[in-house]
Amino acid sequence: MKTLKLLIILTVLILVYGHTSAQKEPIKVAGGHKVEIKTSAVCSMCKEAIEYDLAFEKGVKSAVLDVPSKVVTVVYNPKKTDADKIRKRITKVGYHADSLQRDSVAYEKLPFCCKDDAHEGEHEPH
Amino acid sequence: MKFKLFVFIISFAFGSNGFGQSVNGVVVDQELEPLIGATILELGTRNGSVTDINGRFQLTLRTKINKLVISFTGFKTDTIAANLTEPMRITLSENVSELGEVVVTSSPTFMDQLESKHVEIITEAELNKAACCNLSESFETNASVDVSYTDAVSGAKTIRMLGLDGRYVQINRENTPHIRGLIGRYGLGYIPGTWIQSIDVGKGSGSIVNGYESMTGQLNVELKKPETSEALYLNGYVNSFGRMEANANHARDLSDKWSTAFLFHGDYFSNEIDNNNDGFLDLPKSRQFNLMNRYKFMGDRLRNQIGIQVMRDEKAGGQLGYGFGDDFQNSTPYGFMNNTTRVEVFGKTGLLFPQKPYKGWGFIYSGSYTDINAGFGRNEYLGTEKTGYVNAIYQNILSNSFHQYKAGASFLIDDFEEVYADSAFSRQEVVPGVYYEYSYLPGEKFSLILGGRIDFHNLYGNLYSPRLHTRYQLSDKTSLRLAAGRGYRVANPIIESSNILVSSRQLVVQEAPEPEISWNLGGSLVTNLKLGHEDLNLVFDYFYTNFENQLIYDMDQSSDNLFIYNLNGDSYAHSFQVEAKYALNQFLEVKAAYKFYDVRTTIAGRLQEVSFVSRDRFFLNASYATKYDKWKADITVHWYGQKRLPDTGDKPVELQRQAESPDYFHINAQVSRGYRWGSIYLGSENLLGFTQDDPIIDANNPFGEDFDASIVWGPIVGRMVYAGVRYKIKRANN
Repeated sequence: MKTLKLLIILTVLILVYGHTSAQKEPIKVAGGHKVEIKTSAVCSMCKEAIEYDLAFEKGVKSAVLDVPSKVVTVVYNPKKTDADKIRKRITKVGYHADSLQRDSVAYEKLPFCCKDDAHEGEHEPH
Repeated sequence: MKFKLFVFIISFAFGSNGFGQSVNGVVVDQELEPLIGATILELGTRNGSVTDINGRFQLTLRTKINKLVISFTGFKTDTIAANLTEPMRITLSENVSELGEVVVTSSPTFMDQLESKHVEIITEAELNKAACCNLSESFETNASVDVSYTDAVSGAKTIRMLGLDGRYVQINRENTPHIRGLIGRYGLGYIPGTWIQSIDVGKGSGSIVNGYESMTGQLNVELKKPETSEALYLNGYVNSFGRMEANANHARDLSDKWSTAFLFHGDYFSNEIDNNNDGFLDLPKSRQFNLMNRYKFMGDRLRNQIGIQVMRDEKAGGQLGYGFGDDFQNSTPYGFMNNTTRVEVFGKTGLLFPQKPYKGWGFIYSGSYTDINAGFGRNEYLGTEKTGYVNAIYQNILSNSFHQYKAGASFLIDDFEEVYADSAFSRQEVVPGVYYEYSYLPGEKFSLILGGRIDFHNLYGNLYSPRLHTRYQLSDKTSLRLAAGRGYRVANPIIESSNILVSSRQLVVQEAPEPEISWNLGGSLVTNLKLGHEDLNLVFDYFYTNFENQLIYDMDQSSDNLFIYNLNGDSYAHSFQVEAKYALNQFLEVKAAYKFYDVRTTIAGRLQEVSFVSRDRFFLNASYATKYDKWKADITVHWYGQKRLPDTGDKPVELQRQAESPDYFHINAQVSRGYRWGSIYLGSENLLGFTQDDPIIDANNPFGEDFDASIVWGPIVGRMVYAGVRYKIKRANN
């Protein structure tokens, strides 16, 4: 019984953990660390904005965003920065980064096509 | 009606590879109905196309950005990645006059986009490769425009195209004739580099819509726009000689339809640089104040623009010790002075027909007042010019969009009053003109533009300028363009010879100048050859200019005089150029060009090679840029072949010059580092420090009879190092 209880708790913990933190851990690659960060990017202009901004972030070697999956793959130098700093930076551009919420001021300044409601149906705005 | 679109996202060189490749596809609305006349533009450039009656388009990409901006009145503008592998279907959704990054101006230029003419576009990214100062330095990385110093005193630079003086190039600012008349010689210095959005370089005769003055080429300079340029752009520049510059641009929306821009430039240089120890300043002292403010209204049916530019430029050169405001007529040191004040008011109005994108009215107008107070040694020059210009353009189609036309009328009034030494000249030109330009655009394979204009000149009678441009796509990757046309201009002998007046030569105008008239014939072949993973872009062009009349500035007959007279005999220029461009990888691009000129004119009854023109020239530019221009490095190598020099055989032997100049190299380089807020740059002009020995004849006796500072074929100042910073605040998107 005790073992079963423990197992259930463990399973629940894993599930909960897995759910709240879909966040992927950095892995080592040639030239530094690589991390995949889920963003709220919706179009090619969002891709542009995030890749542009990260290109100038200290320690970032490359950043490529895949629009369909919204995942930006960042290679960085772990001596100069870390995954959290990069996530934070993405929020400053106006996008969610994994569990971090976007900066609302930056979001307001995004072009229309990058807003949440820009791609929902083809309704006529009034 | 989208007459013309400008994309105002700063052109960053993105690191992929669409360059020279073509995209095609169809633009439809949400009901999948094709959209006719939708505009497809390559992001960051003015390279574009318009959809045909089936909504189809094709476009050859010129940059590596690989992004297209699709727009159509009444629809949301969309920016998307170009698909190079298969035809694209682009759906635009209806609504909302969002201004976004794409903006319509009132000037109709379908023609640019359909590219019947040989036009090269210098973008802002290209301009930033040689971060200097003004329009005369903006052609550093362009092989088609040559830049050289005019003399050893004024520091002025002049351009040449097709081997001929820049006065035969029509220089427009946003499709309004701009650098002409009394600012024809120094005017390139009056357009600051940081104001420039892009420059179109058209070789051969240009469109008749903008007038009759494009004889060897047409430059169109687009400035930063109220509706799209950065909210704030600050630039500071300093060089090793001590020249300082400050530039500031500001643009903002005043309402959802009105926007404004302020462009400011100031520069200051007062150090005495005499590296060749001839007692003369290698560069004149100079200071300039330049301000432009303009307003734009963007309605659905009406586009309006009005602006004002105020400029004051002062130069003081000559012997050491001569300063701003000194009295050159009595000063001990030889003085050169040029103080120019210019005020210009300009505007445009466009009337659009949203349901008929091919139809529109455009009105362009400007009025300017120019005042020049100059001195060359003991001689004073005073000049004023008052100009008024109006151009009305109507554009429509004949039955379908295969047949388009523009028709219009222009009116120019130009009033000159000049005094030089003891002579006074004045003239008033009143030139009404009408024109018609027909375009046959049956598809991507072939296009033809046939135009003509008649101007009724009050002084010189009726003048005709026919023009023809045609383009034929030989294959997917090869196109052929041919152009022919007649152009003319009225010379301003004193201003145009002001570079020769820094000498002891007496100015002798032997007869009343007649208009300069020339025919230009030529063409280009553009092809892309697969070489490894990338295309090798090759451009061959050949142009022939033949003068019916030309004003001859004869420095050869006598070294004591400058004779000015009308051409009596032959005068022509053959120009051949081959240019190759290749991207070695996504970061590094190399461009090389070779040019051959054969320019001859009848001087003193004999057909002679025109002086100061290199028969051969070579040009090489290597350009390295990481993604988003975080790091950028550029090096440009120019090789100038020998040039014929004016005959100095009648001077004392020790003061004679050789008949030809030696060949030489000129290298410029620049490195820049980009940040989110802007960039910093460090560069050098004339890296090798090559200079012309002893550029001034008899520099010790500037008031003597042998003095001549006009025989200049190479750089006067040595190596110059400069550094600068650019700070930008982007415009909010909404």
